[in-house]
Amino acid sequence: MKKLKVRSLLNPFTQIAGYQALGWGVAGIAVSILLSYLSGWHYHGLLHYGPAPNPAWWCFVAEHLIIWLVPAILFYVGGLILSRSRIRIVDILGTVAFAQLPFIGMGLFNFLPPMQYLLKFNADTSPVALLAKPEFLLAVWLSLFSFIFVIWVLYWMFKALQVSCNLKGSRLGILYAIAVLGGDTLCRLLISQCYK
Amino acid sequence: MNKTNKRLPLQCPACDAPLNISRLFCEQCNTEVSGSFELPALARLTEKEQLFVIDFIKSSGSLKDMAKSMGVSYPTVRNVLDDLIDKLNTMQTV
Repeated sequence: MKKLKVRSLLNPFTQIAGYQALGWGVAGIAVSILLSYLSGWHYHGLLHYGPAPNPAWWCFVAEHLIIWLVPAILFYVGGLILSRSRIRIVDILGTVAFAQLPFIGMGLFNFLPPMQYLLKFNADTSPVALLAKPEFLLAVWLSLFSFIFVIWVLYWMFKALQVSCNLKGSRLGILYAIAVLGGDTLCRLLISQCYK
Repeated sequence: MNKTNKRLPLQCPACDAPLNISRLFCEQCNTEVSGSFELPALARLTEKEQLFVIDFIKSSGSLKDMAKSMGVSYPTVRNVLDDLIDKLNTMQTV
């Protein structure tokens, strides 16, 4: 039983995919949007987050939809080219959305006072003055710690691609690297349009 | 005494090459047939893979039903089937 739980945590997609994963994933995205809106933390890309000049609710919705759909579409297109299996778009959309559930943890993390301090600090302050402030140092450490959630999301996205597209070895590695690194660049480009 | 459930060895323990059948025996009349017979493709699959094929036939080829009864996701079952198809294709071309 314990072994099964650990296996499910390492790769939930052997148990859940398709519409079920999509349902959980979309619900998770909705919660993450709400948490980001309330905490004021934006997603600038798949791997980048922090303060942004647009506090409108639709900006948070757009950011979340972009960081979900861009890698999912890249996975799907890559899967169609590289996979020998008949892949389903619902599995890819569902597993990628589900893989982003740890962002809820990060959303909650961003309510911590030092993380809120990071949103408000003055960029013109000298580095020496900043380093003298204990809140700033704590916020930097905490933001490094919050990167665990990003690593978790990236790991689950890797598993999502592996299961939903039935890829292995170099094909899996190459497509994943292209979709995540290229996807992050594409996400940043699209999300930057929301700040104009 | 309980009869031991022996597994059919598929590979040569010395060089890992696939094994052939050289002797068949009728337990009823003690007739022996000898020669060199290749194992059929399905018999060359592992025990786990053979069980998967049996489940697949029993569920009338419905991967959705199989996923439900095995407690795994649909793409997981489909991936096992696709890997099996690849393995059978490779066996038949060799």
